[in-house]
Amino acid sequence: MTKLIEQSGDTWEIGGKTLNSRLLIGSALYPSPANMEDAIKVSGAQIVTVALRRQAAGEGTGDNFWNIIKSLGIEVLPNTAGSHSAKEAITTAHMAREVFGTNWIKLEVIGDQYNLQPDPFETVKAAEVLIKEGFEVFPYTTDDLVVAKRLADVGCKIIMPWGSMIGSGKGLMNPDNLTAIRKQFPELKLIVDAGIGKPSHATQVMELGYDGVLLNSAIALAQDPVKMARAFKYAIEAGRFGYESGTMQQREFASPSTPTVGTPFWHQFK
Amino acid sequence: MIEVIVNGIRTEVSSEMNVKEMIKELKYKQKGFALALNGTFVAVSTYETTIIHDNDSLEILAPVQGG
Repeated sequence: MTKLIEQSGDTWEIGGKTLNSRLLIGSALYPSPANMEDAIKVSGAQIVTVALRRQAAGEGTGDNFWNIIKSLGIEVLPNTAGSHSAKEAITTAHMAREVFGTNWIKLEVIGDQYNLQPDPFETVKAAEVLIKEGFEVFPYTTDDLVVAKRLADVGCKIIMPWGSMIGSGKGLMNPDNLTAIRKQFPELKLIVDAGIGKPSHATQVMELGYDGVLLNSAIALAQDPVKMARAFKYAIEAGRFGYESGTMQQREFASPSTPTVGTPFWHQFK
Repeated sequence: MIEVIVNGIRTEVSSEMNVKEMIKELKYKQKGFALALNGTFVAVSTYETTIIHDNDSLEILAPVQGG
């Protein structure tokens, strides 16, 4: 069993909870349940995403998984993955609330089966209903500023634009769009969800001033998921501290960092 | 006999009955899942008062890994 590793001391609030980790981690695609458990622990993540799928009669396979997740003692964020309409997503959210005992929901309504791009119209429609019903909605959306505005208009306090397509590992397709959303909504919790492939992508997200990163494949599909989980933990902390520290201004010329006064051998051969 | 659609599969059951009885007849465990009837969530608290009719569609979902 891998021990929990130390937290950075950085805290933030989301959905009424105060957390130390800004990583939201997925629970799918790991080589084994034990590997998933170790990776989640080592990542330091305090939010884990889960899902609902059809269960066959007499089947208890979900029990083992759910028992592992419960034993971690961290927040559970059920998703509505597989929904193609607001109605399907709303029903899935209702079912998730009963099974998982949480009003948090990662709202995911897919509009295109090829690139799994979210359907902005159905997502906004579902978000409006679920917020009125008391859900804390974590909507998965594109990096479109106007869609983010619509989600904020219906009461979303959290918005989760994609970095790039789910499971692609391509990183941030449009950092400028993500920056525009950050500037427009300083009061909202912004999390990049999907498309992260490498720890440096997560660092980049945090350097843009985002509040967190949600990822799954980048850790679960690594050669060594547990080691990669550790890498993401540090990458996210590095990016956040970098953002908070204020980066230096870029310059168009070279500027020595070592003092020039007292430079040895200066003009020695003149 | 009536027919209901359980997780997309057409299934014969003995008669119309409430959700609690249907779960037993279909040999599902009594907990650890959530249920929707014709696309609408049915809360556990209403299992005994919700009647399932011929050609109704049931979704029975349980926790799995997710991203």
